[in-house]
Amino acid sequence: MRTNYRVNSGTRFQMLSQDQLQELFEGTLHLLEVTGLDVYHDEARDILKKAGAWVDGRRVCIPPYLVRRSLALAPRSFTLYARDGNPRHDIHIGPGRAHYGPGPTCPNFVDVDTLERRTFVKSDVELVARVVDALPNIDFCESLGTVGDVHHQLAATYEFAGMFPQTSKPIVAWSYNWQDSADIHQIAVAEAGGQAAFERRPNYVHYCEPLSPLVSTFEAIDKLIFAARHRVPLVFTPCPIAGGTAPVTAAGVIVQAAAESWIGLVLAEAIQPGLPFITGGVLSVLDMNTMILAYGAPELSLCMAGLTELAHFAGLPVWQTGGCTDAKTLDEQAAIEGSLSIFFSELSGGDLCHDVGYMESAMTGSVFQLAMMDEAIGYSRRITRGIEVNDDTLAVSVINHVGPNGHYLREPHTRRHFKSEFWYPNLCDRHNFEEWDMLGRTKMRDRAVARVHDILASHQPSPIKPETERAIRAVLEAAEERVKEG
Amino acid sequence: MTELYQRLATAILEGNSGKMPGLVQKALDQGAAPKDILDHGMVVGMNEVGSRFKRGEMFVPEVLMSAEAMQAGLKVLRPHLASAGVKLVGRIVIGTVKGDLHDIGKNLVGMMCEGAGFEVIDLGFNIEPEKFVEAIKIHQPDVVGLSALLTTTMRAMGHTIKSIEEAGLRDRVKIMVGGAPVDAEFAQRIGADGYGSNAPAGVELARRFVGAG
Repeated sequence: MRTNYRVNSGTRFQMLSQDQLQELFEGTLHLLEVTGLDVYHDEARDILKKAGAWVDGRRVCIPPYLVRRSLALAPRSFTLYARDGNPRHDIHIGPGRAHYGPGPTCPNFVDVDTLERRTFVKSDVELVARVVDALPNIDFCESLGTVGDVHHQLAATYEFAGMFPQTSKPIVAWSYNWQDSADIHQIAVAEAGGQAAFERRPNYVHYCEPLSPLVSTFEAIDKLIFAARHRVPLVFTPCPIAGGTAPVTAAGVIVQAAAESWIGLVLAEAIQPGLPFITGGVLSVLDMNTMILAYGAPELSLCMAGLTELAHFAGLPVWQTGGCTDAKTLDEQAAIEGSLSIFFSELSGGDLCHDVGYMESAMTGSVFQLAMMDEAIGYSRRITRGIEVNDDTLAVSVINHVGPNGHYLREPHTRRHFKSEFWYPNLCDRHNFEEWDMLGRTKMRDRAVARVHDILASHQPSPIKPETERAIRAVLEAAEERVKEG
Repeated sequence: MTELYQRLATAILEGNSGKMPGLVQKALDQGAAPKDILDHGMVVGMNEVGSRFKRGEMFVPEVLMSAEAMQAGLKVLRPHLASAGVKLVGRIVIGTVKGDLHDIGKNLVGMMCEGAGFEVIDLGFNIEPEKFVEAIKIHQPDVVGLSALLTTTMRAMGHTIKSIEEAGLRDRVKIMVGGAPVDAEFAQRIGADGYGSNAPAGVELARRFVGAG
């Protein structure tokens, strides 16, 4: 029997001390209490006031006890369900679990045939969802773009309607307002088998984005209210830019982002106690030379790790960011920025890591970057799985049996473990030079493209129910009527 | 019978050594020709193993299990093949050359060659050129396989081939070389007949040498 034996079941990483986290936490509470935020939504201000907030015109300040109470109401662990009941596509959010997926709303897309950058269109949505469905290390779906070839008010409706049949992995749904949020919900609920069934097994997450610094816009708040009333798990994620719309220092960006997100928490838990709430932010720097929000900056990974630790300290799951790049094409920069941010995100254990597949500072979405990052995620996951230590893995008896100058290839121990103990690459090439030469001297980029083409040629996602197909048709027809009238 | 051949091939593919003697015996009992059991059953399985390995769908420990299943079947089949006058694929002498204690690559080639139906005489490691010469005289192999891992010992391959030449035996055997530092150009320079970049490539080469590939 072992006694006082401590096990690390994965690679451990912690950046901030408990004292530092306490300071960030208190800083966030202080901001919410003293500075407050401007809330551009009358009903939301009423709800917050009733819950205990101080309202002065648009400005809403929240006393610390109310934030603490809301934090206590929000679950740290919950499940997002695959629409088809496939347990391998469920996402169990909870401590020590990191999940990955693309991001939303890039205006451009890397065409899968020409490999050229062009406007994102409706058919791209289906294609991205199918690739997401097939890639083993991508866990949830966003579309990587804003549909540019439909009526601009219907982009989100078409986006969700296009994604939903092509993947059974949970979707994080972006939308403009109450109306298209309702379109999306109607489709998801049809598949789930009604509102009550959906509440027990939610198959999508609602995505809202307030404005930095310290503004809760009408649309973000209205969408939050929709999600809360319909019990849709919620991502509430600002995008503060250090040096531009947030303080230049990492700690400052983190507390501002937390304050911007947690006012959403207070509102959501006031409307629907116990609603799964995922706090977030894309936290990065304003590049003082090119004036872009840098998606490949080391500060992004650093700030996101800090925000992740603060969120977990407060008991919330977090909307992480990684696998993205400022590179314009699938080159060495894309690989370095993407892979390092994936690895750092994996180390920090952020719950849902999004923007995998972003290029050109979120201006272009790429399924090739997504496929390359799938490899980086697999690689990282092997490292964070850590080293298991027990009698079997120590293998002292196996070493004793093989002895000097023997070999382990035919040992039952090897056979039992070689598949789970080693990670096997899909894209990284391990052939010797001659084989690599014979196979056409492919580069990582070529293999990523080939993998995507292979998936698109062969992968079949599980179908949606006939009633969901009808619901999608009805939703799209009604939506087209709506914009005709307008 | 076709179904039984299929089961033999599957047992090889699954690396199921336990099943093989029984299946081979059953085929013999039902009157199948020993050569057909080998060609239509076991070799079919082993070929599938080879192509799956090439595609990255099977891994070395699994290929070895299949090779062991092949050996388990051959143990029962070999006397029947012999009495029917059927020759095995060929005979091969292998060893790691003088000065080199690295054994695993050579072992791997040996096991896989056995799996492919060769009779393998493994001389071991740190083998003097004279030992190879002697083994060729005694065993009369079709193929000689030389292995080295170190850049410092790969030259001993050349010395070994030279000794075989000087003994007047060079024309009687095909010589293949392998090991991490070896490449095709080096193999040619030292007068080998071929080079395998990894164990399965070595087996393929050996099969080609005896006209089975």
